[in-house]
Amino acid sequence: MANRTIKVDYIARVEGESSLDLRVRNGAVEAVHLSIFEPPRFFEALLRGRGYMEVLDIVARICGICPIAYQMSGVHAIEDALGMAIDAPIRALRRLFYCGEWIQSHSLHIAMLHAPDFLGYPDAIAMARDHGEAVERALALKKAGNELIRLLGGREIHPINARIGGFYRVPNRAELMPVSEALKRARDQAIETLRWAAGLPFPEFARDYEFVALRHPDEYPMNEGRIVSSAGLDIAAADYETEFIERQVPHSTALHCVLRERGAYLVGPMARYALNRGRLPSEIRALADEVGLEPVCRNPFRSILVRALEVVYACDEALRLIAAYEPPVRPFVPAKPRAAEGHACTEAPRGILYHRYNLDADGTILEASLVPPTAQNQGVIEEDLREVANAALDLEDEALQARCEQSIRNHDPCISCAAHFLKLQVHRA
Amino acid sequence: MSGSNRSPVLVVGIGNPDRGDDGVGPAVAWRLSVRVPPGVCVLERSGDALALIEDWRDFSCVILVDAGAPITKPGRIHRLDLNNSPLPMSLALRSTHAFGLAETVELARGLQRLPPRLVAYLIEGEQFETGAPLSPMVTKAVEEVAERIVAEISAVLEAGRDHA
Repeated sequence: MANRTIKVDYIARVEGESSLDLRVRNGAVEAVHLSIFEPPRFFEALLRGRGYMEVLDIVARICGICPIAYQMSGVHAIEDALGMAIDAPIRALRRLFYCGEWIQSHSLHIAMLHAPDFLGYPDAIAMARDHGEAVERALALKKAGNELIRLLGGREIHPINARIGGFYRVPNRAELMPVSEALKRARDQAIETLRWAAGLPFPEFARDYEFVALRHPDEYPMNEGRIVSSAGLDIAAADYETEFIERQVPHSTALHCVLRERGAYLVGPMARYALNRGRLPSEIRALADEVGLEPVCRNPFRSILVRALEVVYACDEALRLIAAYEPPVRPFVPAKPRAAEGHACTEAPRGILYHRYNLDADGTILEASLVPPTAQNQGVIEEDLREVANAALDLEDEALQARCEQSIRNHDPCISCAAHFLKLQVHRA
Repeated sequence: MSGSNRSPVLVVGIGNPDRGDDGVGPAVAWRLSVRVPPGVCVLERSGDALALIEDWRDFSCVILVDAGAPITKPGRIHRLDLNNSPLPMSLALRSTHAFGLAETVELARGLQRLPPRLVAYLIEGEQFETGAPLSPMVTKAVEEVAERIVAEISAVLEAGRDHA
């Protein structure tokens, strides 16, 4: 067993197409490659030559799970380029829009993609027979998130209502009331999900990650904030490309993004929570304490708990925003094109999503740069795998494979975003 | 909801009208929307199939119309009783990006959330290119599927009246 090769062609329960190649020699992991073979999608090139008003409809097509993240990073980057100031009610509506995406995306991942790993089921279909209530809760939460997205975005997948300066149409208070009722029920279901997730068996494992997330002076971050890290980074989005670089690796159609000075880093719920726990309302922090979620969680297998906590928070925050909602005087601020460069970073469910656009005088896109969370987490996923596999080499191949797949799903990778499924090979030579 | 409180019939046309023969479900739904009797609901759905479990919650008879994988000949119609058997994987269109129809039906079965009567009409596709229209053989099948569904709805409603 000192030398062996385990090969899994497709790892399920991740979004998109990729494989893992794990080689073990003389009882130690020799190489780990997360190989993404999803075809390159060329969105950055597709955007060149298009008008600035087309950006949100194009980037929403990058992902069926997190289209709002793409729209929000896009809209803020374009508005940054155009020097636009946005009305406060529009800002609040955008945050509400993002809450919908966090709720539906996290709920899907928690119960349908990740939980089966902990409970020993091949998929959510098998798990549903024994844990039907957990799956039912996830479906209800997903529906609540989708209803919010449909109301603000026009439809739940690839929404069409966001525009530069605001929204094409904004809801009135009466339209938000039914969603508010659904969200109150969803909040209770989210708390039940968090308590349920806290009872899952978590492997002992921890790593000393450099966490990277947005930080806002007052809020748990979604649309705004500086990019900060647990190692002291504190920069504006405009400086992202100074500190972070994307590089090609032979085994992936997705670029790997690393910190120029320090290499791999972690984005996503664990990073957001570690760097922003103090921005959570006291009731949410109390729930974290109740389920034993430490203030800084370094065990990636426990990321499911952080996601579940963020779902509770997103329900709470959506309810707060709806209660305070006053329809804006105008649905959008008019935009005036100019030659400029704009940057923005927002918190997609899976972590920070950076956009840069260079516009010419009539607002035509000259250049676009998009760095999704999964491209940023690929290095950490490979490092996790090396350590997880090394610690579990005494397992039989089937169990080792399952542990490796679980380790990948800890980070809810969205391969399509990164390339713009997963095949696992473990070679024990 | 108890059986007596359920609405009678839901028809769901599944697919993307801008992806060649994947649009056959919506094409049948459009055809049916002006032909079904009152009380019958016709929906179109694309993307994540999981939402179907909520869509069919209050219906006693659900008829799904979707494109099937090309396994024999384009336009061939398969009528499947999903209460008694899973959707054959050879016919189901699969995605690495979302839960598909076959997975959704089995998830609902596990949750005991299948409607009392669940039928699927799958029409084998030929091509699924972006922006392409329905292929000729699939176009030809649209009217036949619509007629068969209208007849099936009549039989369901008739049986409902007999039991009332």
